[in-house]
Amino acid sequence: MQVDAPPEDNDNTEEDLYLVENPTLDLEIYANSYTGLARLYRLMYIADHCPVLRVEALKMAITYVMNTFNVNLYQQLHKKLQQCVSGMSLPDVASGGSQDVPSFDQTWVENKTKKAALKLEKLDSDLKNYKSNSIKESIRRGNDDLGDHHLDCGDLSNALKCYSRARDYCTSGKHVVNMCLNVIKVSVYLQNWSHVLSYVNKAESTPDFSEAQGKETSQAILTKLKCAAGLAELATKKYKLAAKQFLQANLDHCDFPELLSASNIAIYGGLCALATFDRAELQKHVIFSSSFKLFLELEPQLRDIIFKFYESKYAHCLKLLDEIKDNLYLDMYIAPHVNTLYTQIRNRALIQYFSPYHSADMNKMATALNTTVVALEDELMQLILEGQIQARIDSHNKILYAKDMDQRSSTFEKALNMGRDYQRRTRMLILRAALLKAQLCVKVFILIV
Amino acid sequence: MINSLAGNYRDLCDLLIKSTELLEKNGQHLDTVLETLDLQQHSLGMLAVLSIKLSLPPPSPNSNQPQVSDYQEIVFTQVQEFIMGCNAEQIRYAPETFAELCDMLTRQLIEAKSPLRGIELLCCAIRKLQLSDSELTLVHANLCLLCLLAKCFKPALQFLDIDITSIPPQDGFPFDVKHFLIYYYFGGMVYTAVKKYDRALYMFEAVISTPAMAVSHIMLEAYKKYILVSLVLHGKVSHMPKYTSQVVTRFIKPLSLAYHDLATVYATNNTEEVRLAVTKYSDTFTRDGNIGLTKQVVASLYKKNIQRLTKTFLTLSLSDVASRVQLSSPAEAERYILNMIDEGEIFATINQKDGMVVFHDDPEKYNSPGMLCKLEEEMTICTDLDRQIQRMEEEIMVNPQYVKKACGAQDDDLTTGQTSKISTYSM
Repeated sequence: MQVDAPPEDNDNTEEDLYLVENPTLDLEIYANSYTGLARLYRLMYIADHCPVLRVEALKMAITYVMNTFNVNLYQQLHKKLQQCVSGMSLPDVASGGSQDVPSFDQTWVENKTKKAALKLEKLDSDLKNYKSNSIKESIRRGNDDLGDHHLDCGDLSNALKCYSRARDYCTSGKHVVNMCLNVIKVSVYLQNWSHVLSYVNKAESTPDFSEAQGKETSQAILTKLKCAAGLAELATKKYKLAAKQFLQANLDHCDFPELLSASNIAIYGGLCALATFDRAELQKHVIFSSSFKLFLELEPQLRDIIFKFYESKYAHCLKLLDEIKDNLYLDMYIAPHVNTLYTQIRNRALIQYFSPYHSADMNKMATALNTTVVALEDELMQLILEGQIQARIDSHNKILYAKDMDQRSSTFEKALNMGRDYQRRTRMLILRAALLKAQLCVKVFILIV
Repeated sequence: MINSLAGNYRDLCDLLIKSTELLEKNGQHLDTVLETLDLQQHSLGMLAVLSIKLSLPPPSPNSNQPQVSDYQEIVFTQVQEFIMGCNAEQIRYAPETFAELCDMLTRQLIEAKSPLRGIELLCCAIRKLQLSDSELTLVHANLCLLCLLAKCFKPALQFLDIDITSIPPQDGFPFDVKHFLIYYYFGGMVYTAVKKYDRALYMFEAVISTPAMAVSHIMLEAYKKYILVSLVLHGKVSHMPKYTSQVVTRFIKPLSLAYHDLATVYATNNTEEVRLAVTKYSDTFTRDGNIGLTKQVVASLYKKNIQRLTKTFLTLSLSDVASRVQLSSPAEAERYILNMIDEGEIFATINQKDGMVVFHDDPEKYNSPGMLCKLEEEMTICTDLDRQIQRMEEEIMVNPQYVKKACGAQDDDLTTGQTSKISTYSM
């Protein structure tokens, strides 16, 4: 399975495809719901895709990156900011937009590089020390610390190596789970989704995973694992599985800003569920789910969308969906899937709309679904070809008729086809028997006459 | 010396093979020898003499063009008389020599650019060689070749339509696989030419599923045509049978990249892309002599797309049809639809007044006497085939060798290799 390649491909190809013009996003609040690399990555994603917020996002990212050892990223961000400001300052010199741009701090860079190297050296020597004393627990902790430091410097692959190395020194279930969580975190940053899933499984199958810790922490870990798994499933386009994972999250224990925010879970879970669940599932697992309801409260717009969809008010629902589309495009994990999910939701709406009718006026249907008749016709055609709607279109009068299947005829047809298939195969069999009997076999290179 | 009469034909054959050299040396006296032989009684002798005569170059003391063709004319008449009148029982002792004679005749006719003349003759030759209708002979392939060159397919069809069930050994040697491959390859081409694509596909499949340990060019060409015909017929590349040799997947597939690309593009249902692919690889297709088939592939995609429309629409205007299947004009769409209605591929009526097409369901309700008759026919074919399989199985079950091996396998475990051989037989 191709897991690593698609996210990057999506980034590269879709980067130029869309630019969000009018986001309704409060960057400050948005950024504050994340910590660590998650916040930096998200800000960078917004900077790449939204010209309006670009400068602000970059500035925030720079201020934040100053707290870490991530010198590389600092330089990168500055370069980007410089490009962006120089591009912008030409038209609006008067507004003086370039004044409050933080200048590149060479001394900070040098200082940090030095400090990082020092710390690395210290941690390394500590680890060597532990190793010579062969105290398992200390070695594990040393490895973890080293991993933390690499992560802080933005060196993901080394961080992953250190965290994984700690695995050999785990003595209790708690340690294994801890190690898994670390690896999952780094793998998410690396977008290595198969890795994420396998470590989620590993953590869940750790024998004394639930008993080893108090009820509270185990709940928190469980939620975290579910969310990581959901994210991985989402990224690999298994939307239904993703929805199921997200729906198992628990709001009270949902505190891992280095990965996802609670409202992220609401949106990812809600959209995936809407796109893949049927009506009964939607009711049972989303609308009546006490735990997920709390998530939905965080995203009132999405809650409205789901309820409107359930009430079959598709026009309203689709309109609301369009409204939040821009913000979704700024979310680095769901953005590549927005279009697919939206089409699936639309299709589901179409299917549900038509299901009780024998014939439907396409003009009315188009207004109910917020579209034109021509566009509707194309969508319906696609659905009929995929076998999702059993109907035929009367393009002349613009009416959709449900198709009545003649079971008898189709059975006859199938039987005849089956018979022909049998004849063909049996003939081939007899021929082959004759071939084998005559011991025919292509053994040497034969040229055609 | 060669005119020894009836008696042991087997010995006679050996003697004839031994005396080949002698005959070759005395090329100029062959005609006199022929005159002394009787067509019915000395068929084997005549066969030997004639085949030597055909293999020798035409006598050329001071020959110029008309004389050569005259000579060939005389030879052709001689061979014709021989094939028509020879004793079938005798020549079955030397089928290889007989087939060689036919092969040489075929070549001469192709050189003389008159393939049509040989068709009737070869049909007769096949009948003489065959013990039963379903037996494969070495002459089959030559007949197909002549029919293809003469663009006259009917005579070949009467043989192709009968499924081969036995392949006799030739002069004690196993049947040459080359002839088998060529016959099925040409057979596939004949069926493609008369647009019986399902039979054509069957023929090509037979070629590519032949047991193989090496790459044969016939298989490679058949594989290319198999892909194209499969696209025309099913709209996708059909799966090859499981017992297809590894050689096909390992060596032949990489050699036919252009065809695989075409199949991939075809799967998108986009006629424009398919056209582009055909133009892109047109050199390869022309070189392989498959350009005509690729045109059929493009046309079939238009048809397939129109058939898809019938599944989704009850009515549709001609201009909409044209735009949806990417045809250039409503008129062209109308032409396609008319043809398809004619061929029974779709059920529709065209309303010329407002340019609408009304698609219907299949009017066949499976309740007419005609349909019942057809059903019964199909069922008879199936039961006949089933009976044939059973007969073959019984034959194997009473085969002493099989019984010995099957029982032996129970006695000791050493015979695993043998049991696997038996299983290939029984399938």
